[in-house]
Amino acid sequence: MTMVSRVKPDLEFIKELQEIGGENVKKCFQCATCSVVCPLSPMDKSFPRKEMIWAQWGLKDKLVNDIDMWLCHKCGQCSEMCPRGAKPGELMAALRNMAYRNLTGPSFLGKWMSSIKHLPKLIAIPAIIYLLIWFITGSICGSPFPLKDGHVEYSLIFPGDYTIDPIFGLAAIFVIWSFYKGVRKLKEVFDTQPKTFVVGYTRPKTIWHALYEVIKDEVLTHKKFKDCGEEEDDQLKFKGHLMLFYGFAALFVVTAIVAFTHWAGKIFSFLHMGYPMPLYNPVKLLANVGAVLLIIGLINLTKRRLNESTKDASTYYDWYLLGLIWVVALSGILSEVLRWANIAGLAYLAYYIHLVSVFMLIAYLPWSKLGHLVYRVFALAYARMIGRVSTEVDEQKNKLFVI
Amino acid sequence: MSKSILVIGGGFSGITAALEAAEVGHEVYLVEKRPFLGGRVMQLNKYFPKLCPPSCGLEIQFQRIKKNPNVKVFTLAEVTSVSGSAGNYEVAVRIKPRYTAPRSCDLSELAAKLAANVKNEFEFGLSSRKPLYLDAPFAYPGRYVLELEHVSEEEKKLLSKSPFINLKDEEKTITLNVGSIIIATGWKPYDVTNLTNLGAGQIANCISNMQMERLASPFGPTNGKIVRPSDGAPPKKVAFVQCAGSRDENHLPYCSYICCMASIKQATYVREQYPDAEVTIFYIDLRTPGRYKKFADKVLADEKIKTIKGKVAKVEEDIATSDVWVTAEDAISGNKITEKYDLVVLATGMQPSLAGESVPFDVQVDEEGFVFDSQDKGIFVAGCAAEPLDVMKSAQSGTAAAMKAIQTVRGR
Repeated sequence: MTMVSRVKPDLEFIKELQEIGGENVKKCFQCATCSVVCPLSPMDKSFPRKEMIWAQWGLKDKLVNDIDMWLCHKCGQCSEMCPRGAKPGELMAALRNMAYRNLTGPSFLGKWMSSIKHLPKLIAIPAIIYLLIWFITGSICGSPFPLKDGHVEYSLIFPGDYTIDPIFGLAAIFVIWSFYKGVRKLKEVFDTQPKTFVVGYTRPKTIWHALYEVIKDEVLTHKKFKDCGEEEDDQLKFKGHLMLFYGFAALFVVTAIVAFTHWAGKIFSFLHMGYPMPLYNPVKLLANVGAVLLIIGLINLTKRRLNESTKDASTYYDWYLLGLIWVVALSGILSEVLRWANIAGLAYLAYYIHLVSVFMLIAYLPWSKLGHLVYRVFALAYARMIGRVSTEVDEQKNKLFVI
Repeated sequence: MSKSILVIGGGFSGITAALEAAEVGHEVYLVEKRPFLGGRVMQLNKYFPKLCPPSCGLEIQFQRIKKNPNVKVFTLAEVTSVSGSAGNYEVAVRIKPRYTAPRSCDLSELAAKLAANVKNEFEFGLSSRKPLYLDAPFAYPGRYVLELEHVSEEEKKLLSKSPFINLKDEEKTITLNVGSIIIATGWKPYDVTNLTNLGAGQIANCISNMQMERLASPFGPTNGKIVRPSDGAPPKKVAFVQCAGSRDENHLPYCSYICCMASIKQATYVREQYPDAEVTIFYIDLRTPGRYKKFADKVLADEKIKTIKGKVAKVEEDIATSDVWVTAEDAISGNKITEKYDLVVLATGMQPSLAGESVPFDVQVDEEGFVFDSQDKGIFVAGCAAEPLDVMKSAQSGTAAAMKAIQTVRGR
């Protein structure tokens, strides 16, 4: 006989969840339309209906340990078809927001990232650091907007070796360590998930195989986004996210090359490249392509968020990230353009904003929505390991295996 | 001051209201848009609470109308304007031509000679009919109606020879003077074409609950044999999809009261005809108002009738077999179910007939199209024009509206 367990509702958790994006959860009457219309939900223990009742009942443990929040790509189908306006898609997003907030410490960062009222503090950290640097280097150069041979040269104010690379290097170590802790915690909770047997599905041998499959089949192709729907909004999301992804990938490659040639160049001088690079340099070219991709991606995603009044609403987590990437992209492009134009005052300011925003993007990464970069990819790989995959049904319906 | 009462709508509640007022001596005008009385009840195979065929209740009502000179029935008639106030209304009624002589005789032989086959809206498109027709064998008035627009010039010549056809009939508008008005305009089945995830009416073997009533009706398109519309095969596996467009913000946001019971009733139609057939009812909540619980328990004790808690959110046609794939999540087990059925019945709800229509007088209508009583104006509502009801409660509300109308024209 099964044990009868008493439901222990965590009312505080539900209140937080409602604040963070799942405000309509109590409207649900459990008709289960959402689980059926979801193109990504597996046949067994489907989502998001079960999450809705967990949330109504205040079952915090079940919710925070739920792998399915990461399988959801928030196409909004469930919210659109929901007969009650309970917006299950918003709840799934709220659960992810909750994960960004709580998966890894320090807890104050999670809290600061969850609401706009803490935004000034988050800006202040890099803003003060780089303003101090600017003040010191400006005094040394004798001007806050110094010129070298009549040209703007950012390294006069923000010398990379002393003021950029060490700070970002430390931030990166901090972020990697935080992610490590977060992923370890995720693995612990996922290990309690039941394994599913799906006929005709070969499970990857190790998590590394699974990761490789996820990156190959899903991340690089954005297949799940494609499965998510064909409406205009879904297209904006698919294209927008794809371009943003490849834009960042390009910029990551550029940064890696620059950092490597710079530091390795100190030992092997043949690696050393002159900075700033000329426009025709393939690395510079790649950087500019990346920037253009970012802007097009941003336009698509912002457009979608602005006209998604009928589907799921956007939360602070969505706007924070979108806004920040806009600032990073625009300040980056402006830094380059103003340097060419040689408008010293504005150029240094743009570069300063660029540094501050990039710091915010990288140093706060695990607690922002961009944390999905690591958490979602890990969860998707883990889901493959345990056979938690959406059953793809062919047109004629003659191949369907439900176990 | 007029002591007459106008009843708009000749369905069960309208007929009841008209008779109740007429039988205590008031002159009543009963105005019906269609060519025959009886409304939605006429289209049912059996109706609650006693599971009578429609002839059972309606034939008595028709007899009462026939025998009572106080009731004046206008069919093919619509109210076009209303002016005045409580106790003294002037009502314009437009009456469309019927093109048949005022006699109840069998014109089926003549009808058979006509070439055109018109989609039969009484059968919800499950069959076609001739442009000279009666809805049902015991239709009232039992006078055929001719649709001239579907008749050729040569056929007109043939028809004009019949003493029972009147091709010179014309549209006319009459003016009635009444003291009170009862709105009994009833309901229409929710339009399945809006239900895009449930086949949108494009899947042959995915029918509506009202179509199921016609299939089961002895005077329906199949003479009462429940078969698949696609191939006429007897269904072995039937699914009922509850709340198809009901309790849904995107469609009808309210519960239509009787659809759960209707599906349970229809499950008995299937089980009585096919002792081997299996029935599955997919529901959000099985609602069994009042004493209906007992009936539901009795029917659901049948082990071939299964209930699954989970709303069907996807219905697809199997191209090869014309079977219907139904997907739902069983909310008890938490697993999705995709199963193939021979026949799927969508339990669509009741939408007030006035939804989306302009009402020619000043009454309060809510955003769904339901009408409210206007005590001070002497305008009252009966039946499903006010809210979704079963036949029994519709009749009760008809009596209630008649009482209020009488109070208006006589004073308390």
